[in-house]
Order: sequence, then structure tokens, then C-alpha cells
Amino acid sequence: MVAHLLRLRFRLLLNSFTRSTWTLVSAIIGAAWGLFILVGLVAGMIALSYAEPVWVWTVSVLAGGAAVLGWIVVPLLLRGVDQSLSVDKLRIFPLPPRRLLVALLVVGLLGVPGLVTLTAGLSTTLSWLGHPVGLVAAPLAAVLGVLTCVTASRAFESVGASLAAGRRYREVMGVLVFVPLLLLGPIIGVAGSSLATISNDLPDIARTMSWTPLGAAWSIPGDLVLRRNGEALAKTGIALATLAVFVLLWRRSLAVLLVTPPRASGGSGSAKGLGPFAWYPATPTGAVAARTTVYWLRDPRYGGSLIMLPLLAVIAVFLASTGSDWFLAALGPVIAATLAITLCAEVSYDGTAFATHLSTGVSGVADRVGRVITLGLLSVPLVGVATVVPLLVLDRGEQIPALLGIGFGLLLTGFGVSSVASARFLLPVPAAGESPFKTPPGSTFTSQLGMYAAWLIVFGLAIPELALGIAAIALGSVVLGVAALLVGIIAGSIVMVVGIRQGGALLERRGPELLASLMRARGA
Amino acid sequence: MLPRLGGMTDAAHDPATPDTVVPPPEPARPSGASALLIRGLRKSFGAKVAVEDLDLDVPTGSFYGLVGPNGAGKTTTLSMATGLLRPDAGTIEVLGTDVWRNTVKAKSLVGVLSDGIALFDRLTGEQLITYHGLLHGMDRETVAQRTGELLDLLDLRSAGGTLVVDYSAGMTKKIALGAALVHAPRLLVLDEPFESVDPVSAANIRDLLAGYVRGGGTVIVSSHSMDLVQRMCDHVAIIGSGRLLAAGTTDEVRAGSTLEDRFVELVGGRHHSEGPTWLRTS
Repeated sequence: MVAHLLRLRFRLLLNSFTRSTWTLVSAIIGAAWGLFILVGLVAGMIALSYAEPVWVWTVSVLAGGAAVLGWIVVPLLLRGVDQSLSVDKLRIFPLPPRRLLVALLVVGLLGVPGLVTLTAGLSTTLSWLGHPVGLVAAPLAAVLGVLTCVTASRAFESVGASLAAGRRYREVMGVLVFVPLLLLGPIIGVAGSSLATISNDLPDIARTMSWTPLGAAWSIPGDLVLRRNGEALAKTGIALATLAVFVLLWRRSLAVLLVTPPRASGGSGSAKGLGPFAWYPATPTGAVAARTTVYWLRDPRYGGSLIMLPLLAVIAVFLASTGSDWFLAALGPVIAATLAITLCAEVSYDGTAFATHLSTGVSGVADRVGRVITLGLLSVPLVGVATVVPLLVLDRGEQIPALLGIGFGLLLTGFGVSSVASARFLLPVPAAGESPFKTPPGSTFTSQLGMYAAWLIVFGLAIPELALGIAAIALGSVVLGVAALLVGIIAGSIVMVVGIRQGGALLERRGPELLASLMRARGA
Repeated sequence: MLPRLGGMTDAAHDPATPDTVVPPPEPARPSGASALLIRGLRKSFGAKVAVEDLDLDVPTGSFYGLVGPNGAGKTTTLSMATGLLRPDAGTIEVLGTDVWRNTVKAKSLVGVLSDGIALFDRLTGEQLITYHGLLHGMDRETVAQRTGELLDLLDLRSAGGTLVVDYSAGMTKKIALGAALVHAPRLLVLDEPFESVDPVSAANIRDLLAGYVRGGGTVIVSSHSMDLVQRMCDHVAIIGSGRLLAAGTTDEVRAGSTLEDRFVELVGGRHHSEGPTWLRTS
């Protein structure tokens, strides 16, 4: 059965490649990249073998601990990374939990991430080239470590799966868990500024980590080489106990999952009323605006894109605290540029539900305007606040008109450009209900290119207000700044209106073709 | 004047009158223009020809069943007839309006329930029907009134505040039907409307549709259930491999035998075996 499931896994992988050439190309690029990293890793390990044993030990404990942590966290974040052999699909077969566990363990080990981790783990052997004891112990410790990775990952995943039955819970978690990850950048930045001092603490950090389940296995060869035999023994115990606990945990939750069919979360039947549908005028345009408002509030794929904004603010404040406040001053325009092209993905987010717009014969312009209204209500105040507040805090009030001009200019131009763009081409986006951060198949090249092209066009069309605004700041001229504000609003509005008209006409003309590609994208 | 949703208003305003008595399908009800007129329809996806030179006449006021094996081109045909999929060749008219020339007018005449197409399922049931109504350009009061009646009629009142994504498959079908009805279309195109709908709701939906036809509307239903089509529809067309195999009143098409036998006879592909021997337990 183990071999059978393994074959199934590889068959699924191969079949997914043959679905489109681009998946194959991106898989090959990904594989080449992975190989490149591995080669670098092996070279690094050989280089490391010339270093002091303490450092070799420190590196392997820290890197190994990070690997275990990564195996636990990443699947939880990217729920549905590899669901091809999920328990949901295997539930109908008469599989005893124990054999299923072995099979899934082997499948996990021989998957792409498993093989990479295994190779990397085994390559730590090379770093002990000068130490026979380490040379013998390292491969065994590496296997133990990699097994811990896979079982820990699976255990947390299946425990999480049995917990996260409710859709709402999953959606909120899917977004929330990303917050610390996004803040990792600034944290590393802070840490990096004092890297010199921290590098002295690394052995101490490794020392602590080596006593935890994360680092115990990876610490064994180093401890042996450094003649801390007692510690090595203790850590072997910790590592084995960790593995045992994870296996037991996994087995328990697997047994539970195998007999627990998925249950639909019973939504509250309370009368929510019409919500946003009562706020907007009762016209097709108002209806589209109301619907997109509901989606901004309820669909994590929309809200998820907003999570970038606090991150930008944090980075700006952090940079300002280190002395360079240009990013904080330009926060408004930066947020405007980010938000300007979010509309590009709108039709792709609709998915086949876009058929509603098509079958009701709603006019393309109403569709476009409705979507712009919602984003406008959200983004115009945001850009305004993000421009005015930092500048007031920095005591640069005279720059407000210029930067507001740039911000609003970019935003309005972006509305126009993306109104056309989203009627022109589709972006591969996660389907409704999937993790908002999941990278859907085929989201390589072409779509990225489209996004950048849209961005370039936005900046190209906003050159007048950009030039005026920059000149105003450079010359310190308030008059030029006010001119930039006026030009930004007027020129931006013109682009927006033209874009909405063109996009609407395009949508009406290409509606059936868009729907056809949306259905293809969903494999329908 | 748009046809009244007969069953709808009856049930809503006069609960004393049980709307369960469905008259047996009347054969051939000739009337003026065709509700749906298809000539020379053709569509291929790459090398695969899905619909080939299809002609179809759906008389106004008929309850029309469209049957065919899997992959026969039923959904493709209905998608093209409702303006969702562009045909390669051929003309389609809804009540005299060319679907692909005067798209907006044609769409206002048609209510669509598509199979395999998502709804805006993060809306509540009530919001979804309201959304469809407003997209059709109806005013707020009418939308609110019809939404309420449809929710009652489809037994979804208590679930009106629940997100459609949390609905069961049958409830989703029902709410999609409600969304297709809200603008009082003259022609209803329903792709597999009874799939995974419970028997009670299915009976209610059948009453609703029968009342709608009595009120002058036209219904086209695609289904795999021959029994259902034979009982419910007064006209039927059998499609196989993208071609029309038979069409006419239900009695004409089934020609004395049951619709199912006639279907199997026309479509072919029936195996006469009792299955593998190992499947016999005794």
C-alpha cells in the first residue's frame, strides 16, 4: 500500500504538469532553483568543515531547528499546499491508520520538500569531514531530524485540520497567521542592525535550542565531537521522545479524521438583513458596489491584500526611526500605488460567479463603476490619512498638496487602468475559499508581467502630476504643490472615466470569452 | 406584461389554497412565436465538436425537457442560448430577439440556472436574490417584496440570513432558482435544477414551475431523470453527441413506450450484462 500511495502521489504530480506548459516550465525553473540551492548548501557544508567545531554545531542546530519550525509553520500558513493525498480523499478506503501513517510518512519524505530537506540534512555530514565521530553520527542524526520535520508537520496539520472545521475560523486564521510573518522583515531589520553583537550570542541561542525538540536531533553530532557525551545522550533521548510524541499525536488525529467526515459549519441563521445592499442606491451600479463591499468585508482574499498596508506603515516608521524619513513622507503615494492596481484581480476573484453579471446583462460601465466606488470609498480616505498624518508629524505641512496630488493622481489613474486591465486579462488567483496567500498554478510570468505592465502604464499616465509634485518638493514651492494636487485630481479623473468607459465596453464585448477562461481556470 | 409567477403569488397571499394539484401535462400547445428558436447552432472546443448543426424550437408556454447522455452538449447549448457562451455559428432567438445581436434585451427575458457555475456565495441568500434583482435594474421595493416571497416559496426563509457558501447543495440549487426568477423572466432555462434537491423541495419547485407555465411562461429543463421529465414536461428533445435526435411533444417522442426506453434506444450504448461474476455475492 505504501508503494501504491507513493506511485499515486507521483502520478498526480506528473499529471498536474501536463495540464499546461506553463506549470511545467515553472516546475522546471523551481527544480533548477532548488538544485542550485542544494549545490550551494553542499559547498557551504564543505567550507564549514574547516571552521571550529563549535561553529559547525551552532550552524547545524540553528538551521536544523529552523527547518523543523518551517515544516510546522508553512503547511499551516499555506493550507492546501499539497492536498493531493489529504485524509479527506483517503477516508473512503479501508486503510488501517497505522499503515496509512507509514505510507504518508514515506510520501512526505519522498516529496519535493522532503527530498530537499533530507539532502540538506545529510549534507551536514560533510561539515564533519575532519571529525570521524561526527562523520558517523551526523547521517543518523540527520535522518532523525528529517523524520521529526515530517512527523511534526503532519501532526500539526492533522490536529489543525480536526480543529479548524469552521470556515470562518479557517479564513480568519489564514490571514492572521501571516501578520507575524510579514512583520518578520522589520524584526530582522532591527536584529540585523545589531548583528555584530548578536553573532556572539549565537552559540548561546543554539545551546538553548539544542535542548528543545526543535534542535535536539541536530545537536547530537556536534556534542559528540565536542566530547559532551552525556549531553549527546540526553539530546538523543529528547529527539527520540519528540519523534514518538509527534507520531502518537499524528496517529491519534489521523484515526479521528478517518472517521470524521467534514461537516459544514452551521452559519448563524440570524437575520443579517441586507447590509451594504441597503446603504447604496438601488441601481445596478449600487448593487455591484454593495456586493464588492460585502466581499471586502467577508472574503479573506480581498482583506488579505490590505494586510500589506500596516506592514508598509511599520516599515516606514521603522526606517524613520533609523534616520531616513523619506519613506514615511512618501507613505501616501506608496499606498496609493499599491491600492491602485488591486482592481486588476477583481474579475478573477469573481470566478465563474461572474456569469451572474453576464446573464443579468448588467452594463459593463455599471460593473466597472460599482467596483471602483467600493475601492474608492476605502482607499481615498486611506491615502489621504497616510499622506497628511506622517507629513504633519514630520512637520512638513508644506509638502501635503504635492504628495496628495501624486497619491490621488496615482490612485485615480490606477482605477482607470485596472478597469481596462481586469476586462482584458485574468490573473490566476486562489479560488474562493482557498488560502488568500496560496499561489495558484500557472501564476508565473505572464500574470506577473501583466501586473507590472499595468503598473508601468499607471506611472506613465501619471507623469504630469508626478513631475509637478516632485518639482514642488524639490523647489519647496507650495504653488507648484497645489498645481500638482489639481492636475492629479483632474488628470486622474479623466483617465478614470476613460478607463471605466473603455473597460466597460471591453467587458461587454469580451464577457463570454472572459467567462470561458474563468471556467477553464477552475478546471470546469 | 410579464407573466405572473403564478405559484408564487398564490402561495404567498392565499395559504388556504393548496397549490399542489398539478394538471397532467397537456400535449402540444401551439402558440405564436417560439420562446426559443435555434438554427444551425455549432460550437467546438479545439478539436472536440460539442454541438453540431443543432436546430431546436421551443414553443411559448411549453414545459420543455432537454435530455441527453453526459457530454451530449446540453449545458453547452443552454449556455449559448442564454448568452453565456459565444457560438461558432448559428442563430438563437428568444421570443423573437436575437440573443447575440440584442444581448441585453434577450437577457432581460431569460432567467438562468446554470450547472457548475459558482454563485456569489459570500452573500446571504437574501442578499444574493436582491443582488440579482438590482442587477436587472429593478427598484428596491419590488426587489424586497419578491425576495421575501421567493424565500418563503423555496422554504429558505429561515436560511435567508445564512451565507450561501454554508448552504447544502440542494439549498444552493434552490437559492439559484430564486435568483433566476426574481426579474420575472418570460423564459426560464434551468440546467439540472433538481440535482441534490430533496423530494419535498423538488415537488414545491415543480408546482412553482407548473404555475409559471400556466401563467404564460416557458420553461426549459435539462435533466438526467427520464421519469421526472416524462411526468413534468409537455415537450421533450433528446440530444446526443451535439445533435438533435428527437424532438416534439412528450407523447410523440416516447411513441408509446416510456421516455427512458426511447432515450436508450435513440442514444444507444446500453450494455446487456449482469456485471462481473465476482460482484455476485451468492
